Amino acid sequence: MANIDQLSAARIAAGVAAGEFSATEVAKASLDAIEARDEKVQAFLQVSSDLALAAATETDRRRAAGEKLGPLAGVPVAFKDNMHLVGTRTTCASKMLENYESTFTATCVQRMLDAGATPMGKANMDEFAFGSSTESSAFHRTNNPWDTERVPGGSSGGSAAAVAAGEVTISLGSDTGGSIRQPASLCGVVGMKPTYGAVSRYGVVAFGSSLDQVGPFGRSVEDVALAMNALTAAGRDPYDSTSQPCAVDFLEHLEDPVEGMRVGVVPALMEAAGLTAEVRTAVEGAAKALENAGAELVEVDLPNIKSAIAAYYVIAPCEAFSNLARFDGVRYGYQEEGCLTLAEQTSKSRAHGFGEEAKRRQMLGAYLLSSGVYDKYYYPAQQVRTLITRDYKRAYEQCDVILMPASPRTAFKFGEMSDPTQMYASDMFTISNNIAGNGGISVPLGLGAESHLPVSVQLQGPAFSDRRLLRFARAVEKSFSAHGAVAPEFAGKGGELS
Amino acid sequence: MKKLAEVLKDWEAVIGLEVHTELTTLETKMFCNCKNTHDDPPNTNVCPVCLGMPGALPVPNRAAIQSIVMAGLATNCQIMRHSMFYRKHYFYPDMAKNFQTTQGPVAFCMHGHLDLEVSGEGAAERPAWEDVAGDGETPISREKDGSYVAPIRILRIHMEEDAAKMVHVGGEEGRITAATESLIDYNRCGTPLIELVTEPDLRTPEEARLFMEKLQQTFKTLGISDCSLENGSMRCDGNISLRRRGETRLGTKTEMKNINSFKSLHDALEYEICRQAEVLEEGGIIYQETRHWEPSRRRTVVMRVKETADDYRLFPDPDLAPFDLTDDFIEEAREKIPELPDAKRDRYMRDYGLKRADAAQLAGDPAVAAFFEGALDGAPSKTVATIANVMVNLAPSFDALTPAQVRGISGLLAEDAITFAQAREVLEAVNGTDKDPERVVDERGMRQVTDTAALEPIVDEVLARCTNQVQQYHDGNKKVVGYLVGQCMKASKGSGNPKLFNKLLTARLEA
Amino acid sequence: MALSREDVAGIADYARIALTDDELDEMTTYMNEAVDLLEPIRQYDLDGVDPTFHPIGDLSNVMGEDIIDDSVRALPIDVALKNAGSTRDRYFRVPSILGTDEDEGGIA
Repeated sequence: MANIDQLSAARIAAGVAAGEFSATEVAKASLDAIEARDEKVQAFLQVSSDLALAAATETDRRRAAGEKLGPLAGVPVAFKDNMHLVGTRTTCASKMLENYESTFTATCVQRMLDAGATPMGKANMDEFAFGSSTESSAFHRTNNPWDTERVPGGSSGGSAAAVAAGEVTISLGSDTGGSIRQPASLCGVVGMKPTYGAVSRYGVVAFGSSLDQVGPFGRSVEDVALAMNALTAAGRDPYDSTSQPCAVDFLEHLEDPVEGMRVGVVPALMEAAGLTAEVRTAVEGAAKALENAGAELVEVDLPNIKSAIAAYYVIAPCEAFSNLARFDGVRYGYQEEGCLTLAEQTSKSRAHGFGEEAKRRQMLGAYLLSSGVYDKYYYPAQQVRTLITRDYKRAYEQCDVILMPASPRTAFKFGEMSDPTQMYASDMFTISNNIAGNGGISVPLGLGAESHLPVSVQLQGPAFSDRRLLRFARAVEKSFSAHGAVAPEFAGKGGELS
Repeated sequence: MKKLAEVLKDWEAVIGLEVHTELTTLETKMFCNCKNTHDDPPNTNVCPVCLGMPGALPVPNRAAIQSIVMAGLATNCQIMRHSMFYRKHYFYPDMAKNFQTTQGPVAFCMHGHLDLEVSGEGAAERPAWEDVAGDGETPISREKDGSYVAPIRILRIHMEEDAAKMVHVGGEEGRITAATESLIDYNRCGTPLIELVTEPDLRTPEEARLFMEKLQQTFKTLGISDCSLENGSMRCDGNISLRRRGETRLGTKTEMKNINSFKSLHDALEYEICRQAEVLEEGGIIYQETRHWEPSRRRTVVMRVKETADDYRLFPDPDLAPFDLTDDFIEEAREKIPELPDAKRDRYMRDYGLKRADAAQLAGDPAVAAFFEGALDGAPSKTVATIANVMVNLAPSFDALTPAQVRGISGLLAEDAITFAQAREVLEAVNGTDKDPERVVDERGMRQVTDTAALEPIVDEVLARCTNQVQQYHDGNKKVVGYLVGQCMKASKGSGNPKLFNKLLTARLEA
Repeated sequence: MALSREDVAGIADYARIALTDDELDEMTTYMNEAVDLLEPIRQYDLDGVDPTFHPIGDLSNVMGEDIIDDSVRALPIDVALKNAGSTRDRYFRVPSILGTDEDEGGIA
């Protein structure tokens, strides 16, 4: 009939609801695609076949019983492996949590399941989400489906690659400094970081608590909007003090024209060092497309964004050090054997359970929070955060969204960025949005003229204007043929829905 | 070592207290909805939040915040509208996240004070020269009997969470020394805890003891904690340093831990003051260290020397939104505050004419005050003083009386139907039962004859018999009436009222 | 103001991360490079600028009710202990505390 990778989430849910095919058939097609494709992509750390088939069976039972089906009924979904799902291990791609069995289910995961989604498994990532290439996973690398010699981006590289390879329809990732938008860009899929607080963080292993935000990947803006509905419809999560209500129908107004609306462009960012010509050209093309659709382009300035990376690499490591202090090998996690004292056990468990980058970030955080140093870096970084937030507020008085690249370049080769601080520049366009807490979305623009690899544009919006962001994303999507594309090497391999 | 009184002639003791109080009356823990009790088997009341599981997030307990605001208002603190929770990091497995969620430089409650009334022997602990001590301190004025009121400033009261309980196996008396392993029970982890820090305004062990006592009474009255020192729901650390009389600079302090009774608090501070004086007088140095009070050996021992200040890497907890307390929230807390011990004491003095000490004793413990007021319920006004008397002097010997029984016995006493000694016997008989004291009195035939007509013949008989004593009375020895009363009691086989006999005898002798 | 090897060793000690000599050298290089990257923060005059610790606008006073929900979140003992490397009976277990410089019972 069709390959699973050709169907949108809405189409699958509608097909299941209409009895055109069963959720079990969809789950089996997804498992089949994973079987056929993931040996090469390696997007998954675990494939949860049993949970998937049980969930699909339940969806089919509900349909047979005439019960109401959710808007994601039967849709195959993958979760980044920092999200808890009872019945799976949650490893954060770290030896520290190699055998950690989830003791509860994350709110974001539960809401996807409540909407009828079928949980296909847990996606690879940079260890504890520290990275922009998924190379720091303790278990294996994930290959970019568009060129398996290249990285999928990160830290949600597995989530992006699983969608790009057509193994699942939707996936969830988390974005602390660009970890959804950057891999989405490198893998040619849509990836959204909603406004901070829009999606509950409860049950997602924390990296930087004031920066982390969960969001969906999909092959279309519509699929992402559908996932946003599932994630937010039940209102704020009482288990997350920082979550806020933002339930609106994200599908509504999706197709509305952007005519007469204003799109901000930051000239300084388009001249940024490190931005490749093909990305710049493509992003300018996206601006042009919105202009052609009737939007007005306005120049805006974000003067303090130049300090965003510095502010981020103060705030994020400090929060990471604090959040990862709990991994001491006592209640859970890697425990060094044969230690005679508690101090020895703690220090060796942490030294041998964590990978290099996880240790680096914690060391940096522990230093920056120490007395005397705190006043030199941490406190001023939070003041600079105020300046960056003000920049955005001022800019949004002049425009409805801001358009810029998502990643300065297309997917790079494994090992190409060996210097950790060089890697940090991968997030130069995404980080400031986490600092301000605003929403952002990465939308594919097709393949770059030189690299022939996916290129994307990023749209950013004011806090809690996520629906408007999706509308602009849809307007961009309509102008480019990239819509819904599965990486050609994998398209149609396995996954036939009979 | 010198005695305390001797030491305090030359040295000023500067004492500050840090008092941790668990909010035991709350249903749930500070940041999760686990049951707030430690009495269950190990690791029963635990969830991802209080076990510090990865991915878990805290949500502050509204009732806990309300409780601390009540505590702040009751101790004359300023309630800070804006404050935040901070993370205080230290690697130790009793705190599941390896940081404690606590408050930063601004606590919910800042800059309060409690006035301490120090009287009796305790007041003598404070040397007279201290009363005028300079350095901006308020001078103390004493009553004739030496009692005084000392205003003790409170620096802050902040909200935090308690740590898990650890059991050290293989060591001496369950302590760390020589333990081969330690076991952790997280039931207590995350219990709502308020920490009150005083300014270093206390000058004697007695003042410290009284402060703790007053704090306990206040928090108990608020109903925010059972305040058990014994069970550790109220814990006290004492910071103590000495300085030469007249000196304004602070000396090096030591910190005293493991104080689990009022007596320990007093004795540990007394010991430590004398120990420090001895060290200093011998030209030694006081090290900044944590010391442990060993009640059995009546001494403090070093637990840990602090070479450098601890660096807890404090920073605002990003998982918890800041607080901007509203007027409504604070007023709601204020309305929940019942009459506090001082106000209650004053009311008892004013309304019932009770002595200050008696009124204070009845008003201090909310359970005692409630019992007292229950006993007053429906009692005629002339019985009130007797009820107070019974409550202060007799009731403490019996743990299972009802207010009605105390009211009953007090009524009998007030109308001279029984003696105080008989009252004790009756209370013993009714303690722990639902028996009516009046019935017990009647059953045992204890009711005393208060009918003058019935007693007069006995008086006549005794006066006729004891001519010797009558003569002594007329010679000026009025005390002899006591003997005569005794004879009357004997003659009436204890059924006559001694007060009445006294009255009748005196009337006849003076006639 | 570069961080010395000793400084970094002290931080590692505090952060409970045992580093080998080689690792300590690499970490020292990294720490100094990373701190250099943060230099822009030090170039600002930030007088009168409030910090943003929470990027969530006016969100404040978030509290939950004092109601037990052990049927929802409390973990049965086997689940609570299942990820622990070492347990005894109903307890989590750690080796001898000796060798740490912490108080009995931590700081609370």
